[in-house]
Amino acid sequence: MGLTDDLGLAALTEKLRYPNINQFEKPNVVTTTVDFVFSWARSRSVFPFTYGLACCAIEMLSSGFARFDVARYGMEVFRPTPRQCDLMIVAGTVNEKMAPVLKRLYDQMAEPKWVISMGACATSGGPFYDGYNVVNGVDKIVPVDVYIPGCPPRPEALFQGLLELQKKIQKMRIVPPRPKPPDDD
Amino acid sequence: MPHVLPKIGSADLTIDEVAARLASEFGGDLVDVRVQEPDTVVARLDRADLKQVARRLRELPEIAYEMLNFVAAVDWLTHLESVYHLYSFAGNTYLELHVEVPRVEPELETVSDVWPSAEWHEREAWDMMGIRFHGHPDLRRILLKDDFVGHPLRKDYVDLVENHPNA
Repeated sequence: MGLTDDLGLAALTEKLRYPNINQFEKPNVVTTTVDFVFSWARSRSVFPFTYGLACCAIEMLSSGFARFDVARYGMEVFRPTPRQCDLMIVAGTVNEKMAPVLKRLYDQMAEPKWVISMGACATSGGPFYDGYNVVNGVDKIVPVDVYIPGCPPRPEALFQGLLELQKKIQKMRIVPPRPKPPDDD
Repeated sequence: MPHVLPKIGSADLTIDEVAARLASEFGGDLVDVRVQEPDTVVARLDRADLKQVARRLRELPEIAYEMLNFVAAVDWLTHLESVYHLYSFAGNTYLELHVEVPRVEPELETVSDVWPSAEWHEREAWDMMGIRFHGHPDLRRILLKDDFVGHPLRKDYVDLVENHPNA
């Protein structure tokens, strides 16, 4: 004990336990790309739009509750208005009367925006593919980023779709690519 | 004027007494009055008498049928049928009125002025079965889009590709 005191290690330990705030004044630099930082932030703060149309909506809601907890992916802020959302989870059967409404709500969402087609009905019409009032796939109305199979998909399947979407968002570029310099020749 | 509903079951009649009461009150208007379930009376009705019978049922002393639960439509291939599910608070009993409608030119009088809840149910019956209700204030399609062709719950309905520009 006496020896460590002689070396001044006790004071050093005390310093580490209570870090001197002044160290943040020193240059504190992390190098990365703008694309990475923006898409990293975007992919972890997705606001989903509460678009439950059928039984898939129950799975979508239960994925928000404590047992499955979509908040682990930063996507727990379900909003009932398209103006505050950037992800539309189409959960359920889209019928032909709903189709123009869905298109309109999609148009009201601010860019950048993504669409997840959740379950067999939203993807292809599912068991109602030959119904008299069913749109065979929401991709006939709006562009879809991720398709989740299942009837209905469990919350885990929805999470896998969300993770796939995160990967997709992280590939987005914010800074336009630099034009190639002209050849000297 | 707010309508004060009677206490449930205040008439204190058995289901057989209710059936007998209906049969005697309406004479020949209600045909084939019978007790089908412990709380349900079923009766047939000519479609020409529908409006006046509906008015009288609503005003019936002691066991007034004040609530219309549902208007169903059935396709029997030979004819269509409209079924009115009524409930009486005072009698605490249900009444099913079966009204036959021909398949060609299926037309009925509306009862939406007697029971306002009939309005949307009649719209649905028009939408799905094509029964036209005279005197309805707003007989549009309710579940399908406005330019839909045909009435899809009829047994002879054929779904055409032309009906689905989006699908």
